[in-house]
Amino acid sequence: MDEILKIKANDLRSKICSGEVKSLNIVKACVTRIKKTDSKIRSFLKLNENKLLEQEATCSDKKIESGKKCGSLEGIPIGIKDNIMMKGESMTSASKYLENYISPYDATVIEKLKKAGAIFIGRTNMDEFAMGGSTETSAYQKTTNPWSLEHIPGGSSGGSAAAVSMGMVPFALGSDTGGSVRQPASFCGIVGYKPSYGLISRYGVCALASSFDQVGTLSKNVKDSALLASIVMGKDYKDPVCEPREQIDCISYIDDNLEVLKSVKVGIPRQLFNYKMDTEISENFNKAVDKFKFLSVKIVEVDIPSYKYIPALYKIIMCAEVSANIATFDGIRYGYRALNAENLDDEYAKSRAESLGYEVKKRILFGTYVLGAKNYYRCYHQAQKVRTLLINQISDAYKKCDFIFSPATLQMPVKFGETLSEECDVFLIAANLAGLPGITVPYNFTNSSMPVGMHFMGSRFSDVKLFQIANAFEKISDFDLNKYPEL
Amino acid sequence: MKELDTIAFFSRIKISEREKKKYLEDLSEMFDYIEILQEPDVASLEPTTHVTKLRNVWREDIVKSCPKEIVDMMLNSSPEREKTFYKVKKIISD
Repeated sequence: MDEILKIKANDLRSKICSGEVKSLNIVKACVTRIKKTDSKIRSFLKLNENKLLEQEATCSDKKIESGKKCGSLEGIPIGIKDNIMMKGESMTSASKYLENYISPYDATVIEKLKKAGAIFIGRTNMDEFAMGGSTETSAYQKTTNPWSLEHIPGGSSGGSAAAVSMGMVPFALGSDTGGSVRQPASFCGIVGYKPSYGLISRYGVCALASSFDQVGTLSKNVKDSALLASIVMGKDYKDPVCEPREQIDCISYIDDNLEVLKSVKVGIPRQLFNYKMDTEISENFNKAVDKFKFLSVKIVEVDIPSYKYIPALYKIIMCAEVSANIATFDGIRYGYRALNAENLDDEYAKSRAESLGYEVKKRILFGTYVLGAKNYYRCYHQAQKVRTLLINQISDAYKKCDFIFSPATLQMPVKFGETLSEECDVFLIAANLAGLPGITVPYNFTNSSMPVGMHFMGSRFSDVKLFQIANAFEKISDFDLNKYPEL
Repeated sequence: MKELDTIAFFSRIKISEREKKKYLEDLSEMFDYIEILQEPDVASLEPTTHVTKLRNVWREDIVKSCPKEIVDMMLNSSPEREKTFYKVKKIISD
């Protein structure tokens, strides 16, 4: 592996700006790495044309040489999940339904990245419409876990996670509705960050469940996620739930001093011990807690009894929102249209049946059921009330602590074809249900050299503090950030 | 089975007889979730639809022109177009 690919994005930024490293060399190294390894990893659905990439990189280099003002990510390559629109580019969301779709405009996050001078390497694979936790529901290809090709990379942002983990790009964007950035990040041994709900615009991002969806970042270390988040966050009138907040330079608040650990209270939910957890995950979690204690970090136990409702709560509300969002896919203005339909109703039904995958259809069916006039109050309305209960209990927990700490997942990645338990991602999903920021940080490797990650969940809009503690935690972890998977 | 047909109709998804069995199996698992959520007493709580306050974003009701390039891009993504229109099946019966 080319050493240039081991340079983290924050360092690349200063090295490119000072002229020490050429953007063209990085881009060439990324493309070479992808060509060499992606036939086995299959993280990219589409790569941008080599010639175009080199032109853009050269343009960035020239800008720097001539002393022109350059963007905050000038000449740095990035991967984009295939559910984020880029003007004039295809966007499939890994579905056959959108096979021939060309985005007519840029998502707000893309607009910001373009302004910052980032170089878009390509579009990464995902579960179809981000529905899944393994990237296996993609209609196009299966992405593998770079640390073990027999195992899933997680999902739904599995392509982004695998590409960053493999060193094909320094960072990538994903989307997180129920852990879809953080879970694959943890399975692939990288950092995954989901912001507080409303911090990053979703304009131009294919919707899954609108009251949970957020764009998130995947990177090798915490600072690179903080850098990327700083660029893409901030108010946007085009997304009605986007908070009217200014962009924050998160990096400037992060220092490598471990003192920050002494000023925070870390909460551990009592409910965590009720779950069945893979042995190596619980061993590493206990080790991390011991390390906290050794460093005089204050640890408190918090009580959130409603954690047990999370899988049910999430499924009901998510499917309801899916059925409403995916209703726009009717084969009229864009997307797949079935031939030989008898009438308009038949055309809708056939178009959707022929172009959507099983998982997507199952969620639509269930969502339609829970929203039906007969079932609405007992199902959807009740779930929304239980959601309030959970949010109230989490708010109470934050009276005793600053962050809630847990393993990222309860299980290690499974082999293809096997399924993860419904409870595997509960600690990640809690953040989506309550609109809170969460970050997974790799902590160690298991005996079989698979990465294990931990998760911090902060209170609403404590994102900067979350980066601070995650960065400190990264410093005390046993994970080697300079280790990359070998094929 | 009849209920599945009704849901499928409202979902505008055609499902084959062969698929029905699998959907019924998988959906019955999902129905367990509904029962689980009947357990807590939440009668006094307000439902949460969003964690943030949704605001209306207003603008003047003025039609802005759209560049031809973008109009074409959008029309070309449609399954069938005719000039500057989307072509769809007849929706009014004779």
